Amino acid sequence: MTVSSRSTESREPVPLSAGRSEAGLDGRAAEAARANPRGTATAERRAGGGGAAATLSELQEPARARWDALKRGDQPIIWVGMATCGLAAGAAEALKAAEAELEAHGIAAHTIPVGCVGMCSLEPMLDVEKPGGARICYGEVTPEKAREIVRSYLVEGDPRADLALGTVGDVEVAGIPRLSELPMIAPQKRVVTGTFGLINPTDIDHYLAHGGYQALQRALEMDPEAVLAEVERSGLRGRGGGGFPTGRKWRSCREAHGEPKYVICNGDEGDPGAFMDRSIMEGDPHAVIEGMVIGAYAIGAHQGYIYVRNEYPLAVERLRKALADARECGLLGENILGTGFSFDMQINRGGGAFVCGESTALMASLEGMVGEPRAKYIHTVEVGLHGKPTTLNNVETWANVPVIIERGADWFASIGTEGSKGTKVFSLVGKVRNTGLVEVPMGMTLREIVFEIGGGIPGDKRFKAVQTGGPSGGCIPEEHLDTPVDFDQLWEVGSMMGSGGLIVMDEDTCMVNLARYFTGFLRDESCGKCVPCREGLAQMQRILTRICDGEGREGDVELLLHLCDVLDDAALCALGNTASNPVRSTIRWFRADYDEHIRERHCPARECRGLFRYEILAETCNGCGACRRACPEDAISGERRQAHTLDQTKCVHCGACLEACRFDSVVKV
Amino acid sequence: MTIESALPDYRATAEEVVERYRRNSGFLIPMLQDLQKEFGYIPRPAMEAVAQLLDIPLSQCYSVATFYSSLALVPRGKHLLTLCLGTVCYLKGGKEIAQRIEQELRVKPGETTEDRLFTYQPVNCLGACALAPVMMVDDTYYERVSVHQVDSIFAKYRE
Amino acid sequence: MAIRLTIDGQKVEAQEEQTVLEVAREAGVWIPALCHHPAVSPYGACRLCLVEVEVRGRRRLVTSCCYPVQDGLAVFTQTEKVMGARRGVMELLLARAPDSPTLRELAEKLGVTESRLPKVTEAERDCILCGLCVNVCREVIGAAAISFVERGVEREVGPPFDEASDACLGCGACAAVCPMGTVDLRWHEGELEIVPFKNRVPVVRCRECGEPITGLPYAEQIRARLGEKLASAVELCPTCKRNAAALAQKKAGAAGRAYVHHAKTPYRDQAPCSSERPGRASEPGSDGPDRCSQGVRAK
Repeated sequence: MTVSSRSTESREPVPLSAGRSEAGLDGRAAEAARANPRGTATAERRAGGGGAAATLSELQEPARARWDALKRGDQPIIWVGMATCGLAAGAAEALKAAEAELEAHGIAAHTIPVGCVGMCSLEPMLDVEKPGGARICYGEVTPEKAREIVRSYLVEGDPRADLALGTVGDVEVAGIPRLSELPMIAPQKRVVTGTFGLINPTDIDHYLAHGGYQALQRALEMDPEAVLAEVERSGLRGRGGGGFPTGRKWRSCREAHGEPKYVICNGDEGDPGAFMDRSIMEGDPHAVIEGMVIGAYAIGAHQGYIYVRNEYPLAVERLRKALADARECGLLGENILGTGFSFDMQINRGGGAFVCGESTALMASLEGMVGEPRAKYIHTVEVGLHGKPTTLNNVETWANVPVIIERGADWFASIGTEGSKGTKVFSLVGKVRNTGLVEVPMGMTLREIVFEIGGGIPGDKRFKAVQTGGPSGGCIPEEHLDTPVDFDQLWEVGSMMGSGGLIVMDEDTCMVNLARYFTGFLRDESCGKCVPCREGLAQMQRILTRICDGEGREGDVELLLHLCDVLDDAALCALGNTASNPVRSTIRWFRADYDEHIRERHCPARECRGLFRYEILAETCNGCGACRRACPEDAISGERRQAHTLDQTKCVHCGACLEACRFDSVVKV
Repeated sequence: MTIESALPDYRATAEEVVERYRRNSGFLIPMLQDLQKEFGYIPRPAMEAVAQLLDIPLSQCYSVATFYSSLALVPRGKHLLTLCLGTVCYLKGGKEIAQRIEQELRVKPGETTEDRLFTYQPVNCLGACALAPVMMVDDTYYERVSVHQVDSIFAKYRE
Repeated sequence: MAIRLTIDGQKVEAQEEQTVLEVAREAGVWIPALCHHPAVSPYGACRLCLVEVEVRGRRRLVTSCCYPVQDGLAVFTQTEKVMGARRGVMELLLARAPDSPTLRELAEKLGVTESRLPKVTEAERDCILCGLCVNVCREVIGAAAISFVERGVEREVGPPFDEASDACLGCGACAAVCPMGTVDLRWHEGELEIVPFKNRVPVVRCRECGEPITGLPYAEQIRARLGEKLASAVELCPTCKRNAAALAQKKAGAAGRAYVHHAKTPYRDQAPCSSERPGRASEPGSDGPDRCSQGVRAK
């Protein structure tokens, strides 16, 4: 069921609503892919011209024309956030409702799926753009709201300032702020994520119309050495967590002996709480592809792989479509843009193993083996995939490359700090008001990110700590919130920037339980090859579980620290080498919490079941009986309209009473 | 109809899958995933056929199938219940939901319910942290799930 | 081209592509290692062979079994850091297999009396997952009958689907390289069993005295490679073979005639200890292949 047909073109726009009921995410994206073959204009050129590879302007002109026709046309445009977050929140249903409303009013409109704008807690997000008028972004759009918005804005002419988040683009509306000026967006510097929300990630023409592949053309006109030098000068460092200087890595690979050479994109984003790479792959897959082609050119590689973790099927679909379109346009494959340089790549998938984010484990996986890392005394740039020189970089790293070539190393190096240039994309999640994807210049402080962009802690709770770097990182307490975030400065306070996951925690979070969570996670994900990681993490998890169960012993903390030392010194790979960070940092900043668990069998955050009490406040209890009815153990007694009491000897600490109480009269002590 | 003809043609499917990836053993994981999509799990005869077609040891296939969490060697339930236990989901109630699932459905991670309706597979992060806690049944997302909703979600699939 | 380095202050020379562990062993310096075997590529799993190396002023802990030698390298095998790391690893190993004689002996040498840590795995075997059996079977023998199953602390070694593998040749290399004695050969009436992998193969017996020699599939492989003229390699037990050779030599006359050929098997330089190796006597009636792990360099 499609909504419209464009007067100027013979093809239907993306029928997003089709096939939604039976297909899963794969189905939807596949539908989109089938219905939107790489842009009509470019297809016509290929069909007509054949033979010779296109030049970039031959691709850009029709793409720009299509874009102009879209923006200057006489039909409204509905932009819908269709990345995983949006879809999970119900974007497809909202769109369906909007389309139904449009049909009911006989309005023909374009519908464009877009990537994640980054305001994930406000998904589904739906933008309505009037021809020649304002594009207004609405958040938390339920199907009902969608119908209302269409009716109000498009039919009645009321932009609904009460529902709107902000305007996008040049046209403003009185009473509605510009989206870019919202407190969550204003402090950001959206370089890599700049196109998210503005282009259809499944349509290469959109990418081309916004200057896409211009950097590639420029690079191919330069000497590979010059391209490499530009990346070196920019100061770009790996965005996956390691922070290794990208230019230096490329140079080592270029100079290594062995053919063929490979470039790999590490899309195995495994840190829980991190979804930067997912958003890039779903929101702007061509940026990654373009970066890899440029990198391959600089290094002298002709074959590449994108390794995407199994849990990201939509990213795989979007990348597949993008690769197919790029090939058709002569931007990938043989004789790219007629320059004689050939390079192609394939997508391979992970099988569900966090350890495959480690470069040698990833390469083992690409060889059809289990994801076991190996010693890196000989670097993978010299001996990598199939024993050949290989450059592996993270998704965000590759996405930065076209930006550097296009705008220059000097521009890139003007952003950020002395040791960390450029911007960093973060996923800001947890106990924070504005959760989502943010991009800021390196060097912004944690305080600015959490309290200005993030809007602080909801519910008047107190900030406790922010976990950076996922399972390889540590927690940062309040006293160090003014630490600038970059590759080097977080080390001083016991953490690392990592791949960009920032998990905010408040006073209700138990830091010992957090350490137990991360240790348990790593224990499950350990490949099992080396003794310290395989045995050590299991031992640490055992100890932390005992502590959280109220069976901690004097000396447990010291034993944990000893095991941390063994892991640091003796583990084979980065999973094991950094596994001690969550434990060490929580012990460093929250030792008192550990001591209270062990010595008093009490959890100060009141999270560890059995290590705190539930109590009914006599002063405020009005005797409604809800808690009494909810209690599975009959531990609560009381007459109607009389303050109830909880018998601690019968209590099993299930928390049902707290959930049931409407009068804030059950508290944790 | 004989027993033989009632069984799926594992070999033929394996051949198709291996050809799809141009007999490149580097794509073993996607091959096994495709077989799993087809059969609901990786049947032994299919795995043996793949090993033979690619000329790699069966023990390598078996290692790979048991190493990676997404690969299953036993038939799964009708519905795949994926619970995200990433940090944010875990802290925002995922832990309680996991307990509830194990209690109500009487399964441990990776196991299938006795009535073969659900296979329970916790994962370490789905990347939708802003909507925590997140749960999936097959391809359908359930976001901001509370522990009370769990029973009613299951009920939907029991009809 | 010779490479010059120091080990604990002592000057040593090495060849390119040698590892620190190999060079140390040649120089008589003791570095513990459980997952290392000269016949098998280095794996770096047990972490006991950790040493400190200093290059360009930077010091770090590395596993000597994997670390390639370089000119000017300074290796330290007995520093506090090294000893601490080895002891830490040893304690973890002891928790897994507290009754293993191999581990107890090594622990004592390292100064670890006992482990404060409980057993945290359900595994019953005295297996430290060193990977030697898996790697020798795949890399050296080429059979790949066993492999690692699962991952993490519940990992195990076994044949596919936990059933006897028909890829097993019954050569016994896995048992020969196992540092713990966990992988073992059991000779039954007509069969050789590889414990604990459940692999069973028919046995080939000496046509003279009836002593079991090796597994039939392995014997057939050897026979196929050597041809019929050298079939005696897998038809006679070591003792009968020596007797036959001595007899032949006597017949041919003493001096000036070459000693009856030693079959140069492709496995010769690789297999841990062929009892045919010149100069190595095996006891009469010895049970299966000898366990030795010295001297033979891997290719």
